[in-house]
Amino acid sequence: EVPPSCTRGCELCSEYNGCLKCMPKLFILLERNDIRQIGVCLASCPVGYFGVRNPDMNKCNKCRIENCEDCFSRNFCTKCKEGLYSHKGRCYPSCPEGFSATNGTTECTS
Amino acid sequence: KALIKVTPLRQEPTGKPITLEGVFAGMKGHAEGRLMQSHPLSLCNTSEDERQENIFISIVKLESPERQVPQCLPLLEKARLAMKRGAQAVIFDVTDDASAAVELRESLLNSGDYLLVVLVQAKDAEVLMGLVNRNEEATVRIETMSETPKWAHYD
Repeated sequence: EVPPSCTRGCELCSEYNGCLKCMPKLFILLERNDIRQIGVCLASCPVGYFGVRNPDMNKCNKCRIENCEDCFSRNFCTKCKEGLYSHKGRCYPSCPEGFSATNGTTECTS
Repeated sequence: KALIKVTPLRQEPTGKPITLEGVFAGMKGHAEGRLMQSHPLSLCNTSEDERQENIFISIVKLESPERQVPQCLPLLEKARLAMKRGAQAVIFDVTDDASAAVELRESLLNSGDYLLVVLVQAKDAEVLMGLVNRNEEATVRIETMSETPKWAHYD
């Protein structure tokens, strides 16, 4: 029976820290909610995070790419902030020289 | 010993702070800031907890060793990482992990850098973690508990 402080999919639960270890295949997200920070288990990472799989723990890490809203990995943005153009996983105010945004999208192609 | 004065925000400015006790694991000192929980796994190299904007003091609830939570870093490095992210001090709740107190004391003995680490347990830890569990914002002030005064002319 999982104590209230843990979401489903938690294998090791703590009253104060939330989840400490998720079941295999799930990702642990360290969710900050004001002063609290608890572990929650997710099948996939939310927008703004990317999943990192490791033998001992799968973890959701925050996207750190400039002007990026959602990412596939540490260095590859999949969704730039509004008004910006994406080129090779990065975000730009306009497409680099020799590239242009295909009609109506913000994807730069040659 | 460390004196920990806790003032829940909804009590300010009238409320009298709650006074708790802890122990400095290494150097003594003073610090003040917002109480902010850090999940033990957030203090690992692989995780990138954000640098907090406000001035804060981290509190980390250490689990019992029997629970085999992945350690990822020695406690000294966890404390260093928390302070690198802006914590003014780090409070470790060692209620369920007495060995952590020994580890921290020994490692802080030889570490040269400025790391203000306070250990709390039992009733004092329960008050702090209770605030965290209820997500009650509070300001924490850490002071050194004054020794019994030694009279200057006394010898």
